[in-house]
Amino acid sequence: MKFLPFIVSHVRHNWIRTSSTVLAMAVCIFLFATLQTLVYAVSGQVKSPGAFRLIIRNNVSLAFRMPKSYEAQIATVQGVKRVSIANWFGGMRDLAKPRDFFPNFAVEPEIFLPMYPEYQLDPQERQAFLDDQRGCIIGKDIADKAKLKEGDSLQLQSAMAPYRIGKPFEFVVRGIYRVDQVRFPGTSENMMFFHFKYLDEATGRKTAVSTYRVEISDPSQAVAVGRAIDALFRDSEAQTHTETEAVYAAGFISLGGKLALLLNGIGLSVMFTILLVTANTMSMAVRERRTEIGVLKTLGFSAGLVLRLVIGEAIAIGACGGVLGIVLALFATKAFVKAPMIGDLLKRVVNLGLPLPIAALGIAMAVALGLAAGLVPALLAYRSRITDLLRQV
Amino acid sequence: MPPAAADIRPGATVNVEAVCKTYRRDSQEIVVLDRINLAVWEGEFVALMGPSGSGKTTLLNLIAGIDRPTSGRVTVAGADLGALSEGALAGWRSRNVGFIFQFYNLIPVLTAVQNVELPLLLNPLAGKERRARALTALRIVGLADRASHYPRQLSGGQEQRVAIARAFVADPPLLVADEPTGDLDAHSAEEILDLLQTLNREFKKTIVMVTHDPRAAERARKQLHLQKGVLAGA
Repeated sequence: MKFLPFIVSHVRHNWIRTSSTVLAMAVCIFLFATLQTLVYAVSGQVKSPGAFRLIIRNNVSLAFRMPKSYEAQIATVQGVKRVSIANWFGGMRDLAKPRDFFPNFAVEPEIFLPMYPEYQLDPQERQAFLDDQRGCIIGKDIADKAKLKEGDSLQLQSAMAPYRIGKPFEFVVRGIYRVDQVRFPGTSENMMFFHFKYLDEATGRKTAVSTYRVEISDPSQAVAVGRAIDALFRDSEAQTHTETEAVYAAGFISLGGKLALLLNGIGLSVMFTILLVTANTMSMAVRERRTEIGVLKTLGFSAGLVLRLVIGEAIAIGACGGVLGIVLALFATKAFVKAPMIGDLLKRVVNLGLPLPIAALGIAMAVALGLAAGLVPALLAYRSRITDLLRQV
Repeated sequence: MPPAAADIRPGATVNVEAVCKTYRRDSQEIVVLDRINLAVWEGEFVALMGPSGSGKTTLLNLIAGIDRPTSGRVTVAGADLGALSEGALAGWRSRNVGFIFQFYNLIPVLTAVQNVELPLLLNPLAGKERRARALTALRIVGLADRASHYPRQLSGGQEQRVAIARAFVADPPLLVADEPTGDLDAHSAEEILDLLQTLNREFKKTIVMVTHDPRAAERARKQLHLQKGVLAGA
């Protein structure tokens, strides 16, 4: 500890170089922690056994649709409790202002609402919504942001070709749903649901289905039920792909296994780059201080002590960068869910927050990077002879 | 050739016996010191003089234990330096030698008092005790009021006085100075030489000083001349 002021004095001395190295290290640890948090959260969800809801889409991609007739066939599969259409509408109040966008879906409310108990409505609101084909329900966040209340009308236009009917769709707010964040943490209150029937009729009953939502009786049978559904349409023109809601959402925000690998690859590349930068900085620092190291050794500082002082300095820089990176990551993981579009998707998939093991690992990695970066310069200082170090260049 | 019996003085603080130092540059062997014998008694103030390249600094480095001879033996304060490992030699230096450099070599990021405190970090002293001793050393060199100044805020003469305080703060019996006035104006050089004389006379420090300057050498009690690696005598 008595050498700490000595280390701190050096770290503070060339503050521009120290700050930029600390910042580089912070960015590295920030990237690591945020990427790992996403990977950790999503993979946790994907592995979650509680998959009691399935989502069916066209096997080719979400851009391709499925016939409405599938609904009745899916309902016959053993283990299926309920099926509802859920079409992404992509409607906006003003197509020129995409920032005001909130996700909106055309659903079959009679079936959809019992499937999604997380969206809580008063019985009167619920009934009003069911009774009005132009009715819609919105989350509390939308109501607050757009200053909407029950009975207010709302116009949306979709940018999607099948839903462009030459005029806006008109809706009436029939309910504002709330979410018990204790029971359903992370569930978005920034969505809108309306009647598929309204959409279908307004588009001349030509609307195909983008997704079916399926509730199953036994979550442990999710895979088997999914396979049975897909088998049903194997010989059809529109083959299906069924997966649990969590896997679907994970895939939708492109955080599946391959992307996790890519993210880890990016993280490793960044870390390696930072290692080189920090090692270069430390080498420069040691090279500049050759005489000083020679003086320390002359005064009686052993080679081992000089080695520890140089490494200590590198570790101090690494630790500062690590702590800063983790603080930034803490803010970032909280800010994710507030980001437009991706935030709503993330909210539905994962309960974001920087896990303690990742924070601890981040700081440990920063210290290890500092140690690795300082090792070679420290060894050079360790090995150098005093007479060589003191020779004036 | 072995040293003459009269040259070996077992009671001396510094005893250099038949020391050779050679360097190899490519295939050529360069002899820097050639069978040097030297004894410095406790409390002596010795000036080592000689032209550039005569081996003065090399001899000083051998006496200070920061270099090793190619052959021969260097004994300082009872320790055979050749028999000590690198680690043990470092510990020995911290207890027995104070080094004064031509270009002061203060640590630029530390204040004057922190610089003086450096050798004490190697002793088992409490922080307050270290600071008190460092301030006392600064008072002796007349710079107590500059304790919190950084080297860049001091003149050359002041920097050298801080360096001298650093050299004697741990109370080593031997001080070695390599051209301590070489980078100073005449007035500052006089102050430094006064200080070294004070340390020699009042604090009984044994001093070995390398210098080019005859006026500086006159302050020493004994003057030795090195010529092409051979000690010419007092």
